[in-house]
Amino acid sequence: MQTALQYIFSGLAIGGIYALVALGFHIMWSTAKAVNFAHGDALMLGAVLAIMGIDVGLPIALAALLAVAASCLFGVILERYAVRPFAKTPTSIGWMLTTIAVGIMLEALVTMQFGGFSRPLPSPGVDKALNILGAGVYPQELLIPAVAVAVMLGFVWMQRSTLIGRAMQAVAFDRNAAALMGIDVNRMFAISFGLASALGGAAGILVAPVTQASAQMGLILGLKGFAVAIIGGVTSAPGVVIAGLAFGIIEKFVEGYISTAAREIIGFSIAILVLLIYPQGLFGKREVFKV
Amino acid sequence: MSHRFASFTRASVLAMAALLAGPAFAQQEPCIGNSGPLTGAAAFGGAAVKYGAEIAIDEINEKGGVLGKKLRLIQYDDAGAPPRGVDNTRRVAMSDKCIAILGGYHSTVGLAQVDLVNEIGIPYIGTIAANTKIIENEKSPNYMFRVSAKDKWVAHFLVEQAVKASKNGKIAFIYENTGWGNGAFPDIKAAMKAKGKELVAAETFNWNDQDMSAQVIRIRDAGADTLLIWGLDREGNQIVRSLDKVAFKPTMIAAWGLAGNLGELAGPLANGVRVMQTFSWLGEMDAKTKVIWEKIQKKHGLKDPTELKMGSGTANAYDAVYILAKAIEKAGAYDWKKVREALYQVEHTGLVANYKPAFDKADPERQDAILPEYYRLTAWHDGKLLPIAQTPYGKSQ
Repeated sequence: MQTALQYIFSGLAIGGIYALVALGFHIMWSTAKAVNFAHGDALMLGAVLAIMGIDVGLPIALAALLAVAASCLFGVILERYAVRPFAKTPTSIGWMLTTIAVGIMLEALVTMQFGGFSRPLPSPGVDKALNILGAGVYPQELLIPAVAVAVMLGFVWMQRSTLIGRAMQAVAFDRNAAALMGIDVNRMFAISFGLASALGGAAGILVAPVTQASAQMGLILGLKGFAVAIIGGVTSAPGVVIAGLAFGIIEKFVEGYISTAAREIIGFSIAILVLLIYPQGLFGKREVFKV
Repeated sequence: MSHRFASFTRASVLAMAALLAGPAFAQQEPCIGNSGPLTGAAAFGGAAVKYGAEIAIDEINEKGGVLGKKLRLIQYDDAGAPPRGVDNTRRVAMSDKCIAILGGYHSTVGLAQVDLVNEIGIPYIGTIAANTKIIENEKSPNYMFRVSAKDKWVAHFLVEQAVKASKNGKIAFIYENTGWGNGAFPDIKAAMKAKGKELVAAETFNWNDQDMSAQVIRIRDAGADTLLIWGLDREGNQIVRSLDKVAFKPTMIAAWGLAGNLGELAGPLANGVRVMQTFSWLGEMDAKTKVIWEKIQKKHGLKDPTELKMGSGTANAYDAVYILAKAIEKAGAYDWKKVREALYQVEHTGLVANYKPAFDKADPERQDAILPEYYRLTAWHDGKLLPIAQTPYGKSQ
């Protein structure tokens, strides 16, 4: 029981990270029908810039704020120069390569500036583990899934109740019709990428005390987050968060009761199986492409 | 006509003679090559070798160099990629014609270099990468030498320390799921067997794993009180944090992958983690070490020895250059073959060990210069990795 509880807590923490990454994919996809494939690097950027800010003597809150702002800017620039020219129609896929390429370049640049070592981001949330019914967990780890759920609720509210949110949905539904209605489509694309990257940067700062920050931290998180987004249905915000948390917990139970080595095999087998049965993901809406 | 023919013949004969004599006259240059990670996640490993090799070369050159020639270091980046390491080896041997090549940080690169090094016949001296098969490669003549640790011996060393530290005799092992970790697993098992014991648990983890609670729960439930670790700092941090979460604190004894920045990552949780090294720059330095540290400090603008990541590699490279210089001196020529022979005759009192002799021609295991008796145990204490005798954990040893 105590062991199972431990796996649930650890799984929620990791699943929360996947959910935060997957939400970024959801935000981009649900407007632009394109994503930054290297979205994991937005997390890396947030975490690394926050640490570099602290290094030069900024107070932690200001460093975090600047890091999030820089991540947002990164998303906007990336959309403008690496996605928009390559995503003219819903079926074009040039942006897949360009976003991956930018991600690799960014990782190389950060390695040069930041060094190869993982570094800690100080946080009171990882000073001492809490003991809950015999299972240990850091407060920071509990915060991650909570923030993921809060962000999801916030974004759903934004889509339903704000003008900008509705405009984003309209663009996703039919960009030509939306443009004819007077919506600035390009601006919506920029906003969705900026928002996703800012969220990514903030998520990076949130998870770095647990995972440590390094130039390579975004790679696996981005990949798993993408897998989770696809499993959950990239068009559904609650879907990707539920899938993220569930994926994290399943991973822990596989590690615990089968073996560590089996984790990726079983995890990705589940992903493929889900896609075979639900091609649009567990909670996703059916996508119609007009060719 | 006959005059022309004669001059043609003379020219041909000269050309032929030059061609024939070529290999015999082929003099290598007074440079030492090195292929290591200068960029990428392990760039500190390339820097560690550079620091040590450069200071040794400077010192030797101040005294007039070797055979009247000044030595120089030529470093190429392999970024941890085996094909680039192979390419760099070819450049060092064929284009720069260096007298020897120093090995770098990654065992995978070292393994990839074995065939080419022996094919060309250029002496290779490893300085960090510890994989057993880099040196014990069953080639003859073997041009692969090493002034660093050897995984096979490290496994025995760690197991010996674990048996000493364990109260209930139950020892577990956790290792990274990579070439390095998987290569060590049979060595650890064999070392345990030699002590008449078996591991009570053996667990793996992958790079970038953020939580090890499943593994440490199994280790705890197997009743282990001592844990051997074969991994790097980033994952080492997750191991000690997961142990903290499940409120379990075994004695931890690790290979030198945890000699980087575990103290910074894990804070007080790193306290007491023991790490095998060939050298330590921290704690009280003896006079000789101090002089060398001050030279490194001056040359590279370092503030504190803690900035010397993988400092064992620096000391190994320092000793390796001296051993090589003495071998060239003994060989009397910058000649690969003669230098290789001379390496077996070098005796040297170095920073890490007393090499008597450095290598033994009769024993293929002894292409490794640093014997296990020179391995030392250090321990993390308040963010610093100190010789264990200078920490509170030294008394229990």
